[in-house]
Amino acid sequence: MRMRRAVVGVGAVLLLAAAPVMAHHAFSAEFDINKPFKLRGTLTKWEMINPHSWFHVDVKDESGTVVEWMIEGGSPNQLIKQGVTKHTLVIGTELTIEGYQAKDGTNKGVGRNLVLANGQRLFLGGTAGPPDNKQGGK
Amino acid sequence: MNHRFLVLVSGLAVPVAVAWLSSMPVAGQTRSAGARTSGSSAKAYTAPRTPDGQPDLQGFWTNATYTPLERPKNVSKEFYTREEALEIAKRTAVEEAEQTEPGTVADVHYDFTQFGLDRSQGAMALNLRTSLIVDPADGRLPPLSAEGQRRAADRAAARKSRGGPHDAVQNEPLQARCILMDRNGPPMLGGAYNNTYQIMQAPGYVMILVEMLHDARIVPLDGRPQLAPNVRQWTGSSRGRWDGQTLVVETTNLTDKFAFQGSSENMRLTERFTRVAEDTLRYQFTVEDPATWTKPWSAEVLWQRDKGPIFEHACHEGNYGLYNTLAGARAEEKRAAEEAAKKKSPK
Repeated sequence: MRMRRAVVGVGAVLLLAAAPVMAHHAFSAEFDINKPFKLRGTLTKWEMINPHSWFHVDVKDESGTVVEWMIEGGSPNQLIKQGVTKHTLVIGTELTIEGYQAKDGTNKGVGRNLVLANGQRLFLGGTAGPPDNKQGGK
Repeated sequence: MNHRFLVLVSGLAVPVAVAWLSSMPVAGQTRSAGARTSGSSAKAYTAPRTPDGQPDLQGFWTNATYTPLERPKNVSKEFYTREEALEIAKRTAVEEAEQTEPGTVADVHYDFTQFGLDRSQGAMALNLRTSLIVDPADGRLPPLSAEGQRRAADRAAARKSRGGPHDAVQNEPLQARCILMDRNGPPMLGGAYNNTYQIMQAPGYVMILVEMLHDARIVPLDGRPQLAPNVRQWTGSSRGRWDGQTLVVETTNLTDKFAFQGSSENMRLTERFTRVAEDTLRYQFTVEDPATWTKPWSAEVLWQRDKGPIFEHACHEGNYGLYNTLAGARAEEKRAAEEAAKKKSPK
């Protein structure tokens, strides 16, 4: 446990420089650091849109009632260049999502970790491999 | 759980970084060195011509780069060795997909192992420069002029008088409002993602489609004058001409709303596009703005051939984030007001 903290800590320090340039808005203004969540649900819709993609997920709450959540992801443009299409992620796919809930308290959140039921990542670690070369083709 | 994620991520990011680095073309060393003697590197390469005889710059390009605009303060040289540049690129690619510590503000973001990895997953020229700024020689912005300092203070005061950053939609930054991003400029500078440009040439015109935010810069080449000085536009007024192999685009008539690096609306920008190899375009720009800086300054970015097409960045259509941010701020205000009322009311 102590070791994990140490390693994660190094990553956090390095990211301080990189993170602010990754988004077109301030994440911490939209989502609440004090409302972390971990959800398990099934994908009902994937909005492959800009500036951010949104995953719609049906999640069962403690009483068994199905609640719809909307989870923010990044811009899909690069995924599309790497061969990901709107069909890559099949409707009905089971997902585990860790993230932070929207500050307005609705069932929206940012998807900090998006993982398939078998533990694999959605795209880059699965269906979309690294590019053949850095030239990108024509 | 977090431990598992960490292993998964480090297991993913490192092989990806190593795989692409081993195949990365050198779009920097000889060409960047050549660039110092203003275009001597272009001698070895002559761009093909369009049917109407212009040097052909057409196609998809990316200005993705890890090279910062200003030289880091702990670096004194102008160029890295190829080995140093590769090592920095490798390390930065891994850092981009690193996990942040749960429960910290830095951890509130989308999944960095999946999105925003264009520089490690896509096309990118390896730039050996230690800064994009080539003039002044120290690789850093020149000092602000007295007027530039005054205006910076005035702008900060004006921002403050408008209230908090989420008090009104007009207080949100231009990129959050889907109006303008640094990819667009002008000048056009890359970021962590969506750095693709498509150049199309027709007789008398060049069009540069900027992926983010899906803006088409249409540059006339027929020698017409700039717009009248009272006409001001977000991206200014651009006029182009050919100087041998190089497309030269001059831009004026800007507003003070974008304020590139703190510039004034009277900034004069000269961009130079030279195709220096089949797959490499050299983009140089010079900023002249005595109302802001004590002297002009110039930068240089290598653009790498990219693949298309560009997926439309319809920013307004999908900009739920702007609504969520403002709604979140109102919800916080309401909570704060309720708490304050509770404290005041006797039990």
